[in-house]
Amino acid sequence: MKKGILAKIVIILIFAYLFFPIVATLLFSVATKWTTTILPEGYTFSYYQQLFTSPEFIQSLLRTVYVSVITIALSVVLIVPSIYLTIVYYPRLERFFEILSVLPFAMPGVILAIGMIQMYSSGPIRITGTVWILIGSYFVLILPYMYQATKSGFRAINVKALTEAALMLGCGKLETFIKVILPNIIRGVISAALISVSVLFGEFVLANLLVGDNYETLQIYLYKLQKVDGHLANALVASYFLVILLLSLLLIWLAYRNNASAVRDRGKTS
Amino acid sequence: MSYVQINNVEKSYQGRQVLKKIHLSVAKGEFVTLLGPSGCGKTTLLRIIAGLERSDAGSVRVNGKEILAGQHKKGQNIGMVFQSYALFPNMTAYENIAFGLKLKKISPENIRQQVGEIMDVLSISGKENNYPHQMSGGQQQRVALARALVTKPDLLLLDEPLSAVDAKVRESARSLIRDIQRRMGITTIFVTHDQLEAMVMSDRIVVMNSGEIMQHGTPEQIYHKPENRFVANFIGTYNFVPGDWVGLSAYEGEVCIRPEHIQMLKKDQLEQFGDSGSVRLQGLLAHYYILGNTVRAEVVVGDRKILVDRLNGFQGSEFETNEEVGLVIDKDACTMLAPGRGEGN
Repeated sequence: MKKGILAKIVIILIFAYLFFPIVATLLFSVATKWTTTILPEGYTFSYYQQLFTSPEFIQSLLRTVYVSVITIALSVVLIVPSIYLTIVYYPRLERFFEILSVLPFAMPGVILAIGMIQMYSSGPIRITGTVWILIGSYFVLILPYMYQATKSGFRAINVKALTEAALMLGCGKLETFIKVILPNIIRGVISAALISVSVLFGEFVLANLLVGDNYETLQIYLYKLQKVDGHLANALVASYFLVILLLSLLLIWLAYRNNASAVRDRGKTS
Repeated sequence: MSYVQINNVEKSYQGRQVLKKIHLSVAKGEFVTLLGPSGCGKTTLLRIIAGLERSDAGSVRVNGKEILAGQHKKGQNIGMVFQSYALFPNMTAYENIAFGLKLKKISPENIRQQVGEIMDVLSISGKENNYPHQMSGGQQQRVALARALVTKPDLLLLDEPLSAVDAKVRESARSLIRDIQRRMGITTIFVTHDQLEAMVMSDRIVVMNSGEIMQHGTPEQIYHKPENRFVANFIGTYNFVPGDWVGLSAYEGEVCIRPEHIQMLKKDQLEQFGDSGSVRLQGLLAHYYILGNTVRAEVVVGDRKILVDRLNGFQGSEFETNEEVGLVIDKDACTMLAPGRGEGN
């Protein structure tokens, strides 16, 4: 009994610790004046209205969406077939990919960015300050998430046996990949993409150092906004929080739907 | 003219030879089992026949067509059932079975009819809309078998398909597979490490060890006429005794006798039994236990332990442990093994 109460207190404290800044942010984004009182003196949605009608905000949001979508698409196109090929045909390369996929964790963003600026500001590929360098470095940034989430999708099925079974039935290699393998790993790929979206939406260091004002993403806009108007910045953070929350719920739902439909089907047939 | 012809097939992995000049031919409609301990090369050989693995040397021909690794699309028609079944998890039983037919561009009505027929034969009708995870191991196995059979393959390959189901299902699956194979007349190569399975199902057994064929023949031949010590040791149980025990003093090697071919008697009855064609021995009954339908006795004769099997009759045993008993061995029941090959296993 005593133990139960203690556990509850700990959980409440943790949640309070986690939610306090969020609640404060939310309140501040709808407060008219909030200086010496515990709660704001008045409430308004004008900051949200201001934010969502600001062309600068729309522009930066679109830029972030654009760079995220291109990066993730590129990543899916390269990583999914690579993992498939290593599992079925070149199992010895698996270790290499495994190591490659955790390398970005070992590199702080600042080092990565400075290295890239030096590498790409002269020479044959001069892309510093353009969106291309951002896409390139984002690709590296999300590699661990993309690789691990996609890999876990592959781990759930016996890729080699399924491939061989399809081949024996006269299915071509590409056809096998599209008809047999892809439908079974698509859930893993989707969750990999969603995780990457939330990572890229929150990315600031690389964007600021590599492109800065040349390509103002959402986070750079937020950074600037903070210096201008705290309420507006908080409205942006609150919206951002909501988007990521929805994304996470979508992820959980995707994982859950699989189990739920399996249970429902089982009930139907037996 | 043999239907499946395997010539001089060799294969090495990282310098280790797993198949050494394998020669084998299989007649049309024959059920041949590759039997051996794990790591003997049987699965590798099956995968080479399937075209899933490239051989280092030699050739495989099925129905006159040479099998080349990775050329499954070019008219090669070989059905295969995998150890894990490898059913497509995103497809229903029906879609799994129809998969191969759809690739052959057969009309939908024909597909429906052929899938229906094979599901009937394997008694899985009614499971059409079930996904693999909604079926039992035995049902999955039947779907895998149906998927391999529905395209009417030239050759059916079975890679230990019975190892993943429980004993009861395995027993019925054995006769089911054998039945269907006979009825459809499909040439079949089956891989297993289970000798009982091999003997129950096969027309011919190929016993393999460390990349070589040790012996091939009918279950009868393999059981009664082992050609070397490996086969004698691997199949069933044998007693190995020196040649002079059974009056073969001129014979250098050991002779072997099946436990069920030795008669065990009360010591005082020994004189009345046996003729000039048999040998009489005396020993001490050290241990006596039930195997099921047989009872096994361990009799110590000199420095050797001789195993004797008797039917487990309803009246029970008239013997007691630590009793002096007599053994009668018919000389014709003794098999002489050529020394050398397969020694030390």
